[in-house]
Amino acid sequence: MRKNRYISAGLAGMLLAALAISLVEISISGCATKEDVILATTTSTLDTGLLEVLIPVFEKKTGYRVKAVGVGTGQALEMGRRGEADVLLVHAPESEEQVVAEGHATNRKRVMHNDFVICGPQADPAGIRGEKSAAQAFRKIAQSKSLFVSRGDDSGTHKKELEVWEEAGVKPEGHWYQECGSGMGQTLNIASEKGAYVLSDRGTFLSLKKNLALVILVEGDRSLLNIYHVMQVNPEKHPKVNAKGGKAFVEFMVSEEVQKVIGGFGVKEYGQPLFFPDAGK
Amino acid sequence: MARAANPRDQVAAGDAREIIAGSDIRVVRQGKEILVVPNIAVREGEVVAVIGPNGAGKSTLLAVLACLDFPERGRVFFRGTEVTKRNVVEIRRRMSVVFQEPLLLDGTVLENVELGLRLRGVRDGPRARAVEWIRRFGLTGKEGQAVHTLSGGEAQRVALARAFVLNPEVLFLDEPFSSLDSIARQELLRDFRRIIRDTGVTAVLVTHDFLEVRLLATRVLVLSRGRIEAEGTPESISNDPLWGRLAGLH
Amino acid sequence: MDLIWRGLARGVKLLLSGDPEIYEIAFLTLRVSGLATLVSLVLGVPAGLFLAVRKFRFRRALVGAVNTAMGLPPTVVGLWVAIFLWRSGPLGALGLMYTPTAIVIAQVLIATPVVTGFTMASVQQLDPKLPRQILALGASPLQFWWLVIRECRFGLLAAVMAGFGAVISEVGASMAVGGNVRHHTRVLTTAIVLEVNKGNFDVALALSFILMTLAYAVTFALTVVQQRKRRYVT
Repeated sequence: MRKNRYISAGLAGMLLAALAISLVEISISGCATKEDVILATTTSTLDTGLLEVLIPVFEKKTGYRVKAVGVGTGQALEMGRRGEADVLLVHAPESEEQVVAEGHATNRKRVMHNDFVICGPQADPAGIRGEKSAAQAFRKIAQSKSLFVSRGDDSGTHKKELEVWEEAGVKPEGHWYQECGSGMGQTLNIASEKGAYVLSDRGTFLSLKKNLALVILVEGDRSLLNIYHVMQVNPEKHPKVNAKGGKAFVEFMVSEEVQKVIGGFGVKEYGQPLFFPDAGK
Repeated sequence: MARAANPRDQVAAGDAREIIAGSDIRVVRQGKEILVVPNIAVREGEVVAVIGPNGAGKSTLLAVLACLDFPERGRVFFRGTEVTKRNVVEIRRRMSVVFQEPLLLDGTVLENVELGLRLRGVRDGPRARAVEWIRRFGLTGKEGQAVHTLSGGEAQRVALARAFVLNPEVLFLDEPFSSLDSIARQELLRDFRRIIRDTGVTAVLVTHDFLEVRLLATRVLVLSRGRIEAEGTPESISNDPLWGRLAGLH
Repeated sequence: MDLIWRGLARGVKLLLSGDPEIYEIAFLTLRVSGLATLVSLVLGVPAGLFLAVRKFRFRRALVGAVNTAMGLPPTVVGLWVAIFLWRSGPLGALGLMYTPTAIVIAQVLIATPVVTGFTMASVQQLDPKLPRQILALGASPLQFWWLVIRECRFGLLAAVMAGFGAVISEVGASMAVGGNVRHHTRVLTTAIVLEVNKGNFDVALALSFILMTLAYAVTFALTVVQQRKRRYVT
């Protein structure tokens, strides 16, 4: 019967809500005038703590605020394709080249590398310890049907793992091959709990080593190189991106100063660097 | 018995003694006509009893006259003014309703009895008026008691005090004594009858009980299947075979 | 067991040492989830009252929808909000993605059905004839709703607790639309996920203790209010 009043009460409620939301926007994000740079990156750069060191330096230097969103490389590249990020820091060269070729990303620069390592339980049931070829090691794991935990999340590490399987000529299937769909840290935990083999980037493995019942069994194969590139999302294709901020971040990452920080990162804690600076290569 | 003239003309003429009147009222629920009343009026000083079998539409009629429901068709007038969605709150504030259950709100006896006055924004001593009515319903000393600790009879007395304190121009009672046990009921009926006489309040009483009709009513309407089948004094109705047939009494 | 004690000890230490980042995360969590709860009350209580008191045509369908939405997975809400807030999305121009506001919006969507459902349930516990009696006492529409709210205030406090509990503990939506950006949108739950990924189980445990303490403190305060005996004055 008092329909109109209910409608106006409802409207008033929504207005109040909108008001409250805008209030919090002002109060929490405070300096909304500061320009944001959205960085879509792989979990490994966040989980190792490297970006927590680099981002404050960048913010102080340029005045931009960086929003580092940690996702798998696959999702990070997809965010670039959709123009949802301004700059990407990822490690899946083949997929990256494709995104650049499609015109979604530009100004792609090599930043650093570390390498992948094949880890497994100390007992090494498949007998791959010291194996020189990663593909050969994978073949042995498949033949002995030893448990292997895969990221299964379309990340850079996952893509690399699939490459090695292809090289080994094995189709990874069966109960011994388990995709956990998680980040690197979680995947290592699972592999450790199950006594399984796993492919990991060295940095994440080193930073988590203290909690893991896993050791490095195979390393040093050229095919296990893990190369990180930074690139900005192409403003010609995605006019809404923060092109200046993206460009600034690319330049920052390959600057001499940052390259030095990268080379020294983790030495104190783990006795060896987690990443090797590569700019200009 | 039936009023010959067109009720609308009468209302328009402004019969000063008519407090509440309805014309051409029809209430429909799920496609069924549950109340059809061509005309009805309650005059000042009357106590109109509405009786009839279960499902006859007694409570529906009361809700329409008390301006709690708007009928699908027809009009209701309060002292000659048509009740509309615009003025309904104002008109409700000149009447009171007591239902079968006490329907008290969480709080004390006093808070409940005061509530209607507070809703009306009465500044002038609502407390004293409430205390007086609590006394008249025999609850002195229980003002500060939480209502959920009261017995059924006491709770219904609070509900009645809450209605009377408003000094209503018409009081609607929907089987207010029927859920009480027989002792509490007799006691309350006695007090209630005295108060009705003392105040001379105009009332509409829906009931199943012919004793209440005899004690309280000045006029009786017999309702059946949504229609007023008979009207008269308590005496004439109790001698009417129709009533006996309808209510299964006699 | 050892890990639990270490985590607890670490949690106490983190709190006592006044680590600014921990406090920042805890305050942001309270602010975001508190505000989301408030907004969901503004929306959910009237909706719940309306659905409980009024009879109208699509009422049953709506009640069903509310009950379903009460169990909506936060990840799903996060995904939908993200689709709207992305630069390419319909609300992209607002630039809300990866802001605390985005988390508030998602959490409002999570908490509002919960508040609506609890409100509905608490009103339906009242005597169904009570609303009529309140009208018959001469209540204006505003007075009417106020008295109905007053009558079911204990149930409404339960609604507040349930709504707050739902949003302070959710991680899927905060992660999806907040992005767990350090110093900006990192709330307790997303910080816990990050620390687990980093293998810092003791820090993760410490954060989880803080989260539980916060949730408990707020719920406890509301429970005290709810259970407090009304004092009657004459």
